[in-house]
Amino acid sequence: MPSRRKFLTHSCALGVAGATLSSSLLQLGLARTVAARDDDYRALVCVLLAGGNDSFNMLVPLDDDQYQAYRGYRSDLALPQDDLLPLQGVAGNGRQYGLHPGMTALQSLFNDGDAALLCNVGTLLEPWQGAGGRLPLGLYSHADQIQQWQTSVADQRMAQGWGGRIADILQGPDPVNGISMNVSLSGSNVFQSGQTVAEYSISPAGDGAPGLNGYDDGTAAGDFRKAMVDGLLAVEQQHILRSEYRRRLQSAVDAQQFFTAALSSAPPLATAFSAGYFSQSLRQIARVISARRAIGASRQTFFVLVGGWDHHDEVLANQAAMLPQISAGLAEFRDAMVELGLNDNVTTFTTSDFGRTLTSNGRGSDHGWGGHHIVMGGAVRGRTFYGDFPELDPSNPLDTGRGRYAPTTSVDEYFAELALWFGVSPSELETVLPNVGKFYSPGSSSAPLGFLL
Amino acid sequence: MNTVVLISIRRLALIPTLLLACAVSPVQAERLRGEEAASRLASRATFGMSYQQILAIHETGERRWMREQYELPPSSHDAVVDQLYALLDSGQFDEQVRNNPNVEQVFRRLAWWHRSMTAEDQLRQRVAFALSEIFVVSDHVPALMRFPYALSNYYDTLLEHAFGNYRDLLRAATLHPAMGVYLSHLGNAKSDPEANTFPDENYAREVMQLFSIGLFELNPDGTEILGDEGQPVPTYDNEDIREFARIFTGLSFAGSNFQIRLGTVNFREPMEMFDAFHEQGEKHLLRDEVVPAGQTGMEDLEQAIDNLFNHPNVGPFFGRRLIQRLVTSNPSPAYVARVTAAFNDNGAGVRGDMRAVLEAVLLDREARVLPREKSHRGKLREPLLRVIAVLRQLRVSSPDGFYANTGYVVQEQTQQHPLSAPSVFNFFLPDHSPVGPIAEAGLVAPEFQITNSGSIVTLSNMLERILLAGLANDLPRPPFSAAQLDFSDYRELARKPARLLDRLDLVMTYGTLRPETRRHIRATIGQIQDPGLRVRVALYMMYFSPDYAVEL
Repeated sequence: MPSRRKFLTHSCALGVAGATLSSSLLQLGLARTVAARDDDYRALVCVLLAGGNDSFNMLVPLDDDQYQAYRGYRSDLALPQDDLLPLQGVAGNGRQYGLHPGMTALQSLFNDGDAALLCNVGTLLEPWQGAGGRLPLGLYSHADQIQQWQTSVADQRMAQGWGGRIADILQGPDPVNGISMNVSLSGSNVFQSGQTVAEYSISPAGDGAPGLNGYDDGTAAGDFRKAMVDGLLAVEQQHILRSEYRRRLQSAVDAQQFFTAALSSAPPLATAFSAGYFSQSLRQIARVISARRAIGASRQTFFVLVGGWDHHDEVLANQAAMLPQISAGLAEFRDAMVELGLNDNVTTFTTSDFGRTLTSNGRGSDHGWGGHHIVMGGAVRGRTFYGDFPELDPSNPLDTGRGRYAPTTSVDEYFAELALWFGVSPSELETVLPNVGKFYSPGSSSAPLGFLL
Repeated sequence: MNTVVLISIRRLALIPTLLLACAVSPVQAERLRGEEAASRLASRATFGMSYQQILAIHETGERRWMREQYELPPSSHDAVVDQLYALLDSGQFDEQVRNNPNVEQVFRRLAWWHRSMTAEDQLRQRVAFALSEIFVVSDHVPALMRFPYALSNYYDTLLEHAFGNYRDLLRAATLHPAMGVYLSHLGNAKSDPEANTFPDENYAREVMQLFSIGLFELNPDGTEILGDEGQPVPTYDNEDIREFARIFTGLSFAGSNFQIRLGTVNFREPMEMFDAFHEQGEKHLLRDEVVPAGQTGMEDLEQAIDNLFNHPNVGPFFGRRLIQRLVTSNPSPAYVARVTAAFNDNGAGVRGDMRAVLEAVLLDREARVLPREKSHRGKLREPLLRVIAVLRQLRVSSPDGFYANTGYVVQEQTQQHPLSAPSVFNFFLPDHSPVGPIAEAGLVAPEFQITNSGSIVTLSNMLERILLAGLANDLPRPPFSAAQLDFSDYRELARKPARLLDRLDLVMTYGTLRPETRRHIRATIGQIQDPGLRVRVALYMMYFSPDYAVEL
């Protein structure tokens, strides 16, 4: 298998060729050569639990003393100790933890070694040293925190995300076959937007990319519609907005035909997926991955947003309905990756605006800071807890009030581990994650967190 | 000097005049006049007008038409929800609708579509929609979906203040229970040292960032005031947010005794202040204003609203947003400055007069200049507004008199529905700058944020569904029926392609259709014999075209 550095050098050369020769054909040919070496394929799947998942009810202490501390904090929001799903092994602090009772599939994934849990991760400008330190812009605010979880830049409001910056480096403005390496199941998003790269948007339904009704469908009427549409798109537009609209419409029509042909050329997946938005989104991602050769992709990121986690009230009932969908969907996706022989090549990770207050507002929980996250894939060193699960205690200096725990691992470390695995070179890590140097030395011989092989 | 490129071949004769005008003074640009000007105003200030209605605006005159619109009574959305409850209670819905446990959830949607499609007070309805994209609340919060009056009453509040004063609008939005639920200041109690709880900061932040003053100090022309090191100057910091959060405590449903239970839900009255739950003590507002201790909660709140209202940022901040929603994505600083001046003083010494602001936005000389392709003026039409314009320009009607549409199909295909944005940041950000030529030119184009490879196709299919498949509403079930489109304005011209194209160009693109687009449409419909189909295809091609998608 070519080294990460070698792949990147190759990709950069492609970028230069694309820029100087403006030859997407050349890019296409070379990229396909790369893609043909299938073992080099890698994908990152970003799952955004929008609204701020109350993850202190997703991962809960099992040891009696810490469970009692948990219960003291959470009062009416506490899950019964006997209902928690025990996870094998102990965390770095020697303690044991259990999952929300609705996450049996994730329990198996973890215990099988296909998933790991990252404890108390969040946005930081510098390692937390108590009150008086620099805080992220708009801490506890949805808009800012959901953005910073995608940009990994906690002191600015920025439109480009770290997935977009990776694609700026690896892909540039002219994607192979018109299909961006950043594929979104949830439309435009910050994570996948770069300076020159936009996402390719698909939907969980059908073949993902909707086509114009009747366009070029093999009938005489379809030919007529094709001529009708093509003629309109052939008109050169002088106005800058009309020109951009025309370009997007044209590339959507072109890419759609190519994309659906590519998707239908891949053999159908045997793995069954549940109904529901999350599972169906992951199914569609699995299909795109199965068609990676036809698409000409050697690196892809996927983005799927699952909304509705802002549980100021009804947190128990809502999580009981929603967490099982996440858990089951992840397990189905793992099975599909195993089926494709690509489990080692695809890493799935969760993000969210923030964790929530451990204390209750009498109805639910409010905006917090640090929270726990899931990483899954064959490359993940599973059955392990990473980061530090904080000792639950209102007098713990990490509790910044109401059980809002300051993160003990930064999103930069989390994403650095993923980016390096994906193929970003250490020398480019600070281009992708501008603030990573506060937490990790890109030249270091050790991994940021060590959860990936 | 830039070459001036005119779009309409019918205007070629004007080129020498315009070149001369530009050579002398680029500011004195030629104005778009006549029926085309009326059509452009209709495109910006209504949900869409038919040919006959455009002629009527032209005959009335633009400013006079606006002033006549002010006098029309607001067409209430609450009143439609009342009617729908009456239909439900008297068992008039067909079984499938009646037995749907979530039937009430569609009432405010049905009200929105019926009113927007049929109401005479189009300017008010259109402005309220623009305001709903600035003062955002959304049914993505379950409680606002569940109780239909939450959003119909909120929309009525926007309608009520659309031609009033911005201060009343800001106050009414702040006190509306839908806003209270959405940004969680409803039920927000004063701090409790024993429980270690603090006032919720959500509304305090968003009212400043999104509804009134924005993040950075602005000049009257909307450009940022720069500090000593060339950096923008923040309008507020976290301490200010904490102080405003203390102001927005003690509010809950009117008549509820602060506690929120199912029986106390009341979305039809402003929130009530419960002083026992209001944070006591002195509070500090922006620009060194102090709220003295010992005032009532409402006195605190009124003072805070005044503090925001009188901030010099409101004119340029709010003015630019309104310009972007109604006219153009990239107004010049001079245009923003003229709107700011109208906001600051309506000519009679009144600050915040919405009529003065709307006239400044819609009738400004930059808004009325001849459309040119070699300029960055104009905006991408919002996908939702493109769907609605088709229906209204073809005078959609229903035999039963009610336009029955839930909007779910439209929302799925366009990623847009009124009061259903994914977050308080609306469907798109005012400063979204798409990667590529637009960003390189330093321009913004907010609507492109929801125009991606999927939605650009599904929107086109939505237009096709309406125009070619004839599906004009999504709830044609008793007591409602299938809505019909009226093609008669165009049918009479079906055998005269040149005149048909003139008519389409006037109604939809007010003379900005490119000659090549026109030629292609004409050649295409020339192959169709059936006059009805010929008209439908011509309409579909117009509405589909980039020429129409971007209004200049």
